[in-house]
Amino acid sequence: MYAIETGNLTKQFGSLVALNNITFTVNSGETFGFLGPNGAGKTTTIRILTGITQPTAGFASIFGHDVQKETILARQSIGIVPETSNVYDDLTAWQNMIFTAELYHVGRSEREKRAKSLLETFGLYERRNDKAHGFSKGMKRRLTLAMGLVNSPRLLFLDEPTSGLDVQSNLIIRDIVTDLVRDGVTVFLTTHNIEEANVMCDRVAIINKGRIAAIDTPERLKKTIQSVQSIEVAFDRTAPDLLSELRNLPLVNDAKKEGDKIRLYTEDPSEVIERVMEYARTKKLKVIAITTLGPSLEDVFIRLTGLQARSGGYYASD
Amino acid sequence: MPAIKFMTFIERVPREFAAAWAIARKDMRTYYIRPNIIVMGILFPLFMFLAFAIGRSAPPGTLIPGLIAITILFSASSIEPVSIPIERRVKTFDRLISAPISMHSLVLGESMSGFLYSIGIAMFPLAIGIIIFQTPIVSAVTLVVGLVLGAFCFATMGTLLASYPTENVGDVMSVLNLIRLPLIFISGVFIPIESMPQIGQAIAYFSPLTYANDLIQYAYSGSTHFGILPDVVILCIFILIFQFVAHGLYKKFNE
Repeated sequence: MYAIETGNLTKQFGSLVALNNITFTVNSGETFGFLGPNGAGKTTTIRILTGITQPTAGFASIFGHDVQKETILARQSIGIVPETSNVYDDLTAWQNMIFTAELYHVGRSEREKRAKSLLETFGLYERRNDKAHGFSKGMKRRLTLAMGLVNSPRLLFLDEPTSGLDVQSNLIIRDIVTDLVRDGVTVFLTTHNIEEANVMCDRVAIINKGRIAAIDTPERLKKTIQSVQSIEVAFDRTAPDLLSELRNLPLVNDAKKEGDKIRLYTEDPSEVIERVMEYARTKKLKVIAITTLGPSLEDVFIRLTGLQARSGGYYASD
Repeated sequence: MPAIKFMTFIERVPREFAAAWAIARKDMRTYYIRPNIIVMGILFPLFMFLAFAIGRSAPPGTLIPGLIAITILFSASSIEPVSIPIERRVKTFDRLISAPISMHSLVLGESMSGFLYSIGIAMFPLAIGIIIFQTPIVSAVTLVVGLVLGAFCFATMGTLLASYPTENVGDVMSVLNLIRLPLIFISGVFIPIESMPQIGQAIAYFSPLTYANDLIQYAYSGSTHFGILPDVVILCIFILIFQFVAHGLYKKFNE
């Protein structure tokens, strides 16, 4: 039985087609990444899968329960961790946990055990009697995740789980998600952090303009664009017009500055390495590191969606 | 989850009530002492009462039933129009609409918190009547029935109006006051229905406050305009209408 199954899922808001015939399945125990630029249809898909929004056409099921017809049964198996840490600021961490457990019909003794265990796991048990409004962003995020797990879900919807978090919270959350996957929980991950999806997901779907552009394992997706190879080079110092001169080297398709390194896109990395070394000798620069790189999942994402990456998200090319 | 799959309606009802009660308790902990709820739920009816009472020749004690009626109207209908837009803004409302509970339980739970708040607040005018003005109560049972049905009806009305999909408390409050304030004038609270013009009497039939006030007036005076049974039945019908319309609107607006 699939954890999630959708067929020809379509959602229209007036004349706007937010989802256009989306069909995909997520296997039980799988970590499934759902990637797409802002406005691609990710949130609409999650709202349909969680029974909040009705599709205009098509169907969606969770562990065999039709989300439209058996909404409550479908929801019983899921945990939801939204992008916004939607905890009740005026309730304590403990009250937040117990309230969520009550909403999910967890029995009295079981909910207290689960609340204690999860607050301990997320490093919040010592603060259980403190109201959430005094918590840091990372603590609220951890509490949100703990609340999403209080009903021991078989399927967890994780929306941008580590966005904008401190390193400690980020590591705690990733470790816990890894443990959940090991325990057989299915994870439906939505993220802008493509490297996070690359590391965590068994398969990813890339959605753009309401359509699925690709679904496959990260490695297979990367192989579809083998022509997008690159070399990453770091020099001992910078020089005027360094980036533009490297971009103009033969066989280089594009060049980008990434921190103290420059990434050169090419279809012939070995030839470009020679050209770079020659350029360095001419300019009396010392190459301190040079690496060849295959296409990243981000390259696949950009290629398939036709977008450009800028700080804070992905945007349509001009 | 085979145990859940074959759960009967009878088995489900206690679970739904438990969830509704959890929502009500959450609201009590979170919203009862918010300043805008205190102003709209307690101070506003008090000042409305004083505005009517001062300068009138009637003994103040005879105005107690009217004060109780407008107190339950304002206090019961003030919680959800504040709490739900706030919850929409901070996204906690998404928790409620994505939980494995019926939308009826959500509406019921939200209404229960307004209902209990109102019953608590109504004790103040009740106590003032008993302690300060020694206003006699003819039928305590009718008073309880009037308080319970009236408070629940107005709480459900507040939940219904809070279904309007906004994150701004003022948007709901302005519509709510547009409805609540005229209700005071057309429901026989301070001016008996018999004394109102024909058109006023016709409009009074469509106000739930008319029937709640009639029950409370009976509890104090022993006289009723419509009769106890019609008052009770009509208030129950109003509650059911508000509950089902609210259910439909929350479903529609969550789209």
